[in-house]
Amino acid sequence: MNGPKVIFTLPIDIPPFGQVKITETVVNSWIVMAFLVLLSIFLTHNMKKVPKGKQCLVEKGYLMLQNLVKNTMGEDKLGFVPYIGTLMMFSAVGSLSSMTGLRPLTADLNTTLGWALVTFMLVQVNNIRRHGVGGWLKSFVQPVPFLLPSNIISEVANPISMSFRHFGNIASGLVVTNLVYTGLAALTSIITGGWATVPFLQLGIPAVLSVYFDLLASCLQAFIFCMLTMVFVSMAMDD
Amino acid sequence: MDEYMGFVSIDWTLIFTWGNLLILYLLLRHFLFKPVQKMLADRENEVKSMYDNAEKAQTEAEQMKAEYTEHLQNAKAEANELLQSANQKATLRSEEMLREAQQKASDMVTRADAQIEEEKKRAFQEVKREISQLAVMAASQVVEKEISEKDHERMIEEFIDGAGDAKWQE
Repeated sequence: MNGPKVIFTLPIDIPPFGQVKITETVVNSWIVMAFLVLLSIFLTHNMKKVPKGKQCLVEKGYLMLQNLVKNTMGEDKLGFVPYIGTLMMFSAVGSLSSMTGLRPLTADLNTTLGWALVTFMLVQVNNIRRHGVGGWLKSFVQPVPFLLPSNIISEVANPISMSFRHFGNIASGLVVTNLVYTGLAALTSIITGGWATVPFLQLGIPAVLSVYFDLLASCLQAFIFCMLTMVFVSMAMDD
Repeated sequence: MDEYMGFVSIDWTLIFTWGNLLILYLLLRHFLFKPVQKMLADRENEVKSMYDNAEKAQTEAEQMKAEYTEHLQNAKAEANELLQSANQKATLRSEEMLREAQQKASDMVTRADAQIEEEKKRAFQEVKREISQLAVMAASQVVEKEISEKDHERMIEEFIDGAGDAKWQE
């Protein structure tokens, strides 16, 4: 099983990291981003005081998101709604893009680790903003000083566990789907004795698996990732 | 031959992920979240202002109603007062008129009494004079004595006065 394909390489070489390679993941991200931005422009185009059609949908969706943030983080942290919404849509649509034949963005550890590190930074920055540098440092020796190593590990473990959970779910779906396709192709040629040129068994059967690996896992992982982000950030800002 | 990255690797894509996330965040905030937030806030404000206006109108109406009720009550009280004072005045006036009439009547009676007294006196004088004349005439006939008519008359008048005062008293 390969990683993402390199689409093109920029003629830039930064010594310890090597050449800048633009992979399938990055290009697919741009496609997903363009889709989301165009969808947003379409949905918010020509909005009226009395909502109709698509405007009801987008307002309902926004209010659901706002309620989720309000219930998880609290009334005073509604400023996070745009970021959480962006993350959720990027993750969900990025994972669901596998259904169009694109390699999902989230099947690349770089994507999920990048997002998880943003969450990590949000947690630390907001902790410092809320409690000051002293309070932030003190939170690592709470409740007793000898827990310092364990506190640091648990803080660093968060982005790692978040990113690997998301990456693992989507990537494993990709792997299983690939295996199923390959297996069905082999099965077709065995059954027909190499006679069939079209692996017709690939039709239909993978769709059933796709309901779980693509639809369910994509939405679930996007939701879990956003929930964890909200919980960690609000925990850092509270108490 | 296509070049592939490792299945689990950390590379330049990480940097692009951050850039892409930031760009998408800014774009979606501008194209999706801000417009929807603005729309919802506008609607909320409008509804709120409508409610405020309705409440204000109701308060005003209630105030006006209270004012009118008060005015009405004042007017009623004023009318009552007017009626009472008119009544009082009328009573006073009628009493005065009655008193005046009584006064007038009693005055008239007094005046009439005085007149009667006067008439009586005058009549008495008249009678006295005639009687004295008669008496002089009779005396001159009987006595046939030349006597001053004037002296006689005076004497008789004195006599009658002395007797008449007691006899003709009422």
